[in-house]
Amino acid sequence: MSASETAPVVEQSRRGPSAVRSHGRMLRSELRLIVGRRRNQMGLLVLASVPVMIAIALKVSTPRRGNNDFITAATSNGMFVALAALTIEIALFLPLAVAVLSGDAIAGEANTGTLRYLLTVPVTRTRLLLVKYAALAIGAVIGVVVVVVVGVLIGGLLFGLGPVTLLSGTQVSLAEGLWRLVLAALYVIAGLTALAGIGLFVSVLTEQPIAAMIAVTIISTAMWILDGISQLDWLHPWLLVHYWPAFADLFRQPMYLDEIGRGLLVNLAYAVLFVSLAWARFGRKDITS
Amino acid sequence: MHHGGVRIFDRHPRLRWAVPGAAAAVILAGAAVGTAGVSADSGLPAKTAGELLVDLQGATPQAMSGTVSYLADLGIPALPTGTSGGSSDLTSLASGTHTLRVWTDGAGKSRVDLLGERSEYDVIQNGKDVWVWDSSAVSAQHAVLTKDGAHEADTTAMQVPSTPQEAADLVLANLDPTTEVSVSGAGSVAGRPVYDLVLAPRQSGSKVARVVLSVDSETATPLRVQVFSSATQAPALYVGFTSVDFGTPDASVFDFTPPANATVTEMGGPDGSAGEAPQSNTAPPTVVGDGWTRVLVAAMPRPATAAASDASSGSQDLMTMLDSLPTVSGSWGSGHVLDGTLFTAILTDDGRIAVGAVTAQQVESALAAG
Repeated sequence: MSASETAPVVEQSRRGPSAVRSHGRMLRSELRLIVGRRRNQMGLLVLASVPVMIAIALKVSTPRRGNNDFITAATSNGMFVALAALTIEIALFLPLAVAVLSGDAIAGEANTGTLRYLLTVPVTRTRLLLVKYAALAIGAVIGVVVVVVVGVLIGGLLFGLGPVTLLSGTQVSLAEGLWRLVLAALYVIAGLTALAGIGLFVSVLTEQPIAAMIAVTIISTAMWILDGISQLDWLHPWLLVHYWPAFADLFRQPMYLDEIGRGLLVNLAYAVLFVSLAWARFGRKDITS
Repeated sequence: MHHGGVRIFDRHPRLRWAVPGAAAAVILAGAAVGTAGVSADSGLPAKTAGELLVDLQGATPQAMSGTVSYLADLGIPALPTGTSGGSSDLTSLASGTHTLRVWTDGAGKSRVDLLGERSEYDVIQNGKDVWVWDSSAVSAQHAVLTKDGAHEADTTAMQVPSTPQEAADLVLANLDPTTEVSVSGAGSVAGRPVYDLVLAPRQSGSKVARVVLSVDSETATPLRVQVFSSATQAPALYVGFTSVDFGTPDASVFDFTPPANATVTEMGGPDGSAGEAPQSNTAPPTVVGDGWTRVLVAAMPRPATAAASDASSGSQDLMTMLDSLPTVSGSWGSGHVLDGTLFTAILTDDGRIAVGAVTAQQVESALAAG
């Protein structure tokens, strides 16, 4: 049982700034672990390949008019390759990346037996869990940034960058367009961070990292499927993924923030609920291996 | 404080589950408040239908902006639009739920955006200029009105009878034989207290159960219209603000310059009406019945033979849809019937169309009479 919590806590209260430093160290080593894994590096390559594929497919195909969306808009401004890639990857690849990272977070460490050693470090389980969650959030940031940066670079290379035509027909400067792209990326990151909350909880429940990864992927995919069934529209506002595509609303003039605001609330609700569930479970959990 | 809390959780680990439990409770409570909105009792003074009509007429055009939720459940088959979901085409308004954003300065400038998932269909009036922007087609249509919106507002104001009270009495007197008019207070739309003006048909056979117009108690601006069908519980047609702001919108909202890569078409005609389809060669429609049970009988604008030759795939889809409708026949002939939640339409095989907010039987008898 976890009777070891009290002693480190008392010690920490005396430490102050050094505690922050030690957590920083812990987070850094956690991130080194995430970035260093060969599997995660391959995953980043997959994430980066989507905007490249979109851009090349657009370049070699003959332009079609009508039914304009982010993909076809990319032919007149390369920046839209990043948006098209986000639109596509938000459904499966980005949630999959979060699933893989969260499978490793606790379940992976428990599986390899390293979790026991982590718990001998003078840091409470609560802090350990929060560091793990912060690392997952930063993992989501890395994934989205890779997609967006590669998208803008390849789009700019093949189609050029210039003034951005918004959905409302207004043209804004490239700088303004890129700023809105940054906001869109942040919104997508917020959604993925909430999914990482579910991931953290699942990861605490099992010692099999693969099981955790599959469970998180199934949860996010199932929510997308439910969101697509119009007969269940009463359920849709409760689904984590329902408001995720609303980042497109940032490309209206003036920006339309109703759905984005609701989306952020839903993200926050999921994150708080599942991180606290993970905390409740992790505090009592016996670490056997 | 901090330690004490942690010690409690350490001594009684089960208590930890109270934290996610409390989080769930807060989330559910927050969601309940969010959907229920501000509670009803707004303490509005009671008003009669006449007083409310006077308010409605006296209302000056307000500068306002907001988000409008639109819901149509007309019970008609989905129109073939070619693309699935997220469409911001105007034909998509025939069914489903949509979100619109509206702005007006109350003096000739207005803008309505129909939001698609990643598209927009905007109609912008800036004085004499009217722009229609379709982001899916990357196309803009432009028309110049002969008189600007401000003048239009003036002329409509002049058509009002000498005093608002007179006009209200006139309207109510005209409505009374066919319609029961009542006012129920203490509703709220977009967080603002409203009066509900309820119009219910006295005649039997109408498919419309009642029409509810919600009027802002402060500015007398209509904020919501609901049309209830006698066939369904929920409104068959719902147009209402989900958020509204009576401040003057930023002038830049009404500026529109088509982007460089857009197809721009000028809509001809000084009054901008040339965009409408020419239907002058068809016979004028006849009206059978009165009040809510009125049925319009007209010759069909499509001569089946001529249209078939140059029919696009879209209109062919429409034909297929019409042919799949159930058939009816009677002394008036035979045809296909479209039985919606708010109206019935019968398209006869000899090229007539009869439409009314009534049951199929009454449309049939109108056809027989007309």
